[in-house]
Amino acid sequence: MGRLSRYLARYWWRYALGAAFLLGTASLAMLVPYLLKVGVNTIESGGPWRRTAYCAAGIVVTALLQGIVRTFSRFVIFNAGRDVEYDLRNDLFAHLLKLPQSYYLEQQTGDLMSRLVNDVGAIRMLLGPGILNVLNTPVYYAYAISIMVSMDPLLTAVALSPYPVLLWVVKRYSRQLMERSVRVQAGLADMSSRVQEAVSGIPIVKAYVRAAAEEEKFARINAAFTEEALRLARVRARMFPSMQSAAGLGTLAVLAYGGAHVISGRLSVGDLVAFIAYLNMLAWPTMALGWMISIVQRGRAAMQRLEQVFAVRPSITDPPHPKAIGAVRGAVEFRDVEFAYPTRRDGQPALRGVSLRISAGKKLAIVGRTGAGKSTLVQLLPRLFDATGGAILIDGHDVRELSLADLRRAIAVVPQDPFLFSATIRENIAFGVDVVDPARLHQVAEAAGIAAEIGALPAGYDTVVGERGVLLSGGQRQRLTLARALYRDAPILVLDDALSSVDARTEERILAQLRALSGSRTWIVVAHRLSAVQDADWIVVLDDGRVVEEGDHASLLARDGIYAELFRRQRLEEEIAEL
Amino acid sequence: MAEAEALHPEEQLGKAYDARLMARLWVYVRPYRRWFWLAVASLPATSVAMLVRPYLLKVGIDRYVARGDVRGLRILALAYLGAMVAEFAFFYLQYALTMSVALRSLADLRRDLFTHVQRLPLSFFDRNPVGRVVTRLTTDVDVISEMFAAGALTILMDAVMLLGIMGIMFAIDVRLALVTLSLVPLMILAINFFRVKARDNYRRIRERVARINAYLQEAISGMRVIQLFAREEHAFRTFDRFNDAHRRAYHLSNVYEAALFSLAETVSSASMALVLAYGGSRILGGALALGTLVAFFEYIQRFFVPIRDFSTKYAVMQSAMAAAERVFQLLDTPAEPRGGKARSGVGRAGSVEFDRVWFAYRGDEYVLRDVSFRVEPGETVALVGPTGAGKSTVIKLLARFYEVPRGTIRVEGRALADWDTEALRRRIGVVFQDVFLFAGTVAENIALGRRDLGPAEVAAAARRVRADRFIERLPGGYEELVRERGYNFSTGQRQLIAFARALAYDPEILVLDEATASVDPETEHLVQEALRELFRNRTAIVIAHRLSTVESADRILVLHRGRIRESGTHQELLEARGLYYRLYQLQFSAPPERRAAAAAR
Repeated sequence: MGRLSRYLARYWWRYALGAAFLLGTASLAMLVPYLLKVGVNTIESGGPWRRTAYCAAGIVVTALLQGIVRTFSRFVIFNAGRDVEYDLRNDLFAHLLKLPQSYYLEQQTGDLMSRLVNDVGAIRMLLGPGILNVLNTPVYYAYAISIMVSMDPLLTAVALSPYPVLLWVVKRYSRQLMERSVRVQAGLADMSSRVQEAVSGIPIVKAYVRAAAEEEKFARINAAFTEEALRLARVRARMFPSMQSAAGLGTLAVLAYGGAHVISGRLSVGDLVAFIAYLNMLAWPTMALGWMISIVQRGRAAMQRLEQVFAVRPSITDPPHPKAIGAVRGAVEFRDVEFAYPTRRDGQPALRGVSLRISAGKKLAIVGRTGAGKSTLVQLLPRLFDATGGAILIDGHDVRELSLADLRRAIAVVPQDPFLFSATIRENIAFGVDVVDPARLHQVAEAAGIAAEIGALPAGYDTVVGERGVLLSGGQRQRLTLARALYRDAPILVLDDALSSVDARTEERILAQLRALSGSRTWIVVAHRLSAVQDADWIVVLDDGRVVEEGDHASLLARDGIYAELFRRQRLEEEIAEL
Repeated sequence: MAEAEALHPEEQLGKAYDARLMARLWVYVRPYRRWFWLAVASLPATSVAMLVRPYLLKVGIDRYVARGDVRGLRILALAYLGAMVAEFAFFYLQYALTMSVALRSLADLRRDLFTHVQRLPLSFFDRNPVGRVVTRLTTDVDVISEMFAAGALTILMDAVMLLGIMGIMFAIDVRLALVTLSLVPLMILAINFFRVKARDNYRRIRERVARINAYLQEAISGMRVIQLFAREEHAFRTFDRFNDAHRRAYHLSNVYEAALFSLAETVSSASMALVLAYGGSRILGGALALGTLVAFFEYIQRFFVPIRDFSTKYAVMQSAMAAAERVFQLLDTPAEPRGGKARSGVGRAGSVEFDRVWFAYRGDEYVLRDVSFRVEPGETVALVGPTGAGKSTVIKLLARFYEVPRGTIRVEGRALADWDTEALRRRIGVVFQDVFLFAGTVAENIALGRRDLGPAEVAAAARRVRADRFIERLPGGYEELVRERGYNFSTGQRQLIAFARALAYDPEILVLDEATASVDPETEHLVQEALRELFRNRTAIVIAHRLSTVESADRILVLHRGRIRESGTHQELLEARGLYYRLYQLQFSAPPERRAAAAAR
């Protein structure tokens, strides 16, 4: 819990202030029964009324003060809890930003989301309401019991006699409650996966007329879940009365035993009233104990899950002493590069000794069938993954010797998956740029062949895209991601199968425009369509993680190998499409 | 709009009580109405038992303590104990009954939902993600049950209690009651003030929670882009902005809630002070007994808690109504048509005819255009064409997953619309390209819940499609469990299981979409044998990806851009040197990668 105490230390004075307010609240709370007692005793002993009126006025003043102090105590502590939640979330997010892609390959978004939402929420419960009660309970206990003892020790003992039972009841039921809740949650998860499966398998269910069998399976899980939920409800139904009974027995004891004292004259009615009031003050904190235990337990489990995230080391980081490179010219070399995805259990490498080089300002094309390692290769360049063997050099510098910011600034990538943020087109193209140059924005949109379509939208560049905005076609998204890369104006441009959803003619037109715009840029193009790479200075054919052929278009065709075969097949595909 | 048929998103909140929705929920509570009414009846009983206790306190002080009657006091203590026991017994009865009614009726609702979901047309699932449907059946129904646990009935109980306390106070002493309640209007005004504030803020909170979660989700999915563009700092600033806005909204709500919480306590103490001062003067004047004062103190303490908690319960009701609205919307989504009455064909068993069929999934983007063909009983027809030609649509239409807007499909001489859908599907066995395996055993996946298929029949089906050998080698044999949708089986093994499933179904007409993924040569051999067995003695329509399949087909239909372009046997079509000839070179001749791999070795 080292991390938690650091957060707590950061806000210690607010918690201290909150604790002081709590103490104030409790002190004022103790005053009310006392004033009540004096008032009632005055009445009992026949006046004077003025004294009772003073007591009443005192109660009003106390209540008003208490209201204010209590308000402060609650929101000061709850807000501190929210602030820790805020810090924790920010720290988690900052950590996530540093984690390598290999982590995200293995991690499900849903699981991470659950940690950042549910687990952080559980910590907040611990550090808000949890801490409030942890501070409150002993204060009320100490205060109320010492006052009660000072009034009548024997009566106090009698009044508190059911409390061990109450504590036992609380402990027992909170354990039961927790166990049952876990089972109900598990039942709900079972039901979710059952429904999920049934819905995913609906074509089969319909085709084989199996609805009845599915309903039967569901009915079993539904019944099991309902049974668990009923058990939980029964625990709840018993818990509340049991706790109330144990607390009520205290009042009853005061009434029976204390009543006799009043008759014998050892106690006044006012004392009795105050005594019952003090006793009532203990009932709630005691009953809340079980709730607190569960908050603490859930908080601890949540912190463990969060620590697992924090424990993941950002393996791709800046070197200790990054080389300062001025303007990158854009010469790229892969030297005996080996790579295996950490997620591959069998350890099969995705790249086996790939070597290739491209001088600055030239166009390199990488082709090959699906799974040959093309995308993997280009992802190593900006260090989304680190090669497991060999080296990758830019202008003769090993990419691992450069600062990540320098390296990635030198490379503009259009990834395979045209991911856009739910933001305006402007924000997506000038991604993360504070001051946007409108002329440049338009220029890159033009070059990416998307300007006309943006112009046709009512809001133009201010159109929000993504899930909550305008839905774009795959081709439109690809062209926007291309524009985004162009806006970076990096010396190295990487297109990772970036125009696959655009038709062949548009692709050719866009590439021609790019060529005119690109100037001295180095290009690395991973392409499915060979028509897009024919003009490349150098073409590399990858297969099964190896370079199997390389050369320019003409020489590769002449070789009559894989490239030539791929070329023929694509011609055939085009012919078919024309028919 | 195209989205009109999609289910409502999660974020709306509206009324806390909707008679129409309540009436629909009542349909589900009705079977358990006796218990329900018993629970409702025990509500006031709980309240009465709760209210008796302060009154007993008054009686004890005024009648027994004041007169020094110790024995009377003991009897009264017993009565007090009795009231306590009664209160808790009634509470238990009330809560246990309510929850039992709620959980059972909601289980029924869930069952109806599941049954209904199974009957929804496939087009529904094209528009609605699986997760949303799952939420309706799980989380949403759960939220409705919260209404029973912490909403409607407890509000009723509180109302009974408030009225009861007022009634008793007025019965004991009208003037003192008026004084006691004098602060209530103030309290209600103040609570209302904070509630309006809190409600507006609550809306803000929901927006901000949604925003921060959406951004988080997006940033995690788009982490690659953020890192590639070295925009970590920008992303962090954005997140920080949302995180901070989220925190500030909650800071405000903490202030309101703390004030609301403290207010009830303050007003309650102030009311006691009023009772003390006013009641005290009357006692001193001899017009009132001391016990009355004590009883009033107790009643006051019980009076303000329900008022304070009302807003929480109101929010529970709001969420429950919104969830019920969503659940019933799903239940109201029209199911797929049950079809006609006919349970058998009029033509020859196993014949299929497409007669000028047009089909579009969306608007007028036609996937099939004027498609006509006939398949005779026992014939094997291969469908061939480039990606997006409309091949799989032919299969889906035949199984009546979608309605045909133009043209007619006839099975055994009867138009699909006239067939009883289930009877139709019993005649057609479908094998999809992606084999879907259910959680359960291999045997269960072959039998698919049919009771008439015993272990012997399942094994026989597996044997006929050559699946027996690999299944028997599994540690659990036919009882081996399928994990994670069957990914503990290889593609080839999954296909063989699907074939066994189809064979056990023994349809007149087999419709099959061959998997494209290549399998090892040994399995390939098994698959080819299995296919031959499957096609024997029945009509078969196959989307072909295998050379052996097209070669052995009785007829090949070549689809391109939604039209049938060529038809004939493999040899005929090859000789025609048309579309099929090119497709053959592209799809059925050995792919280059295999040659390359061979060359590399």
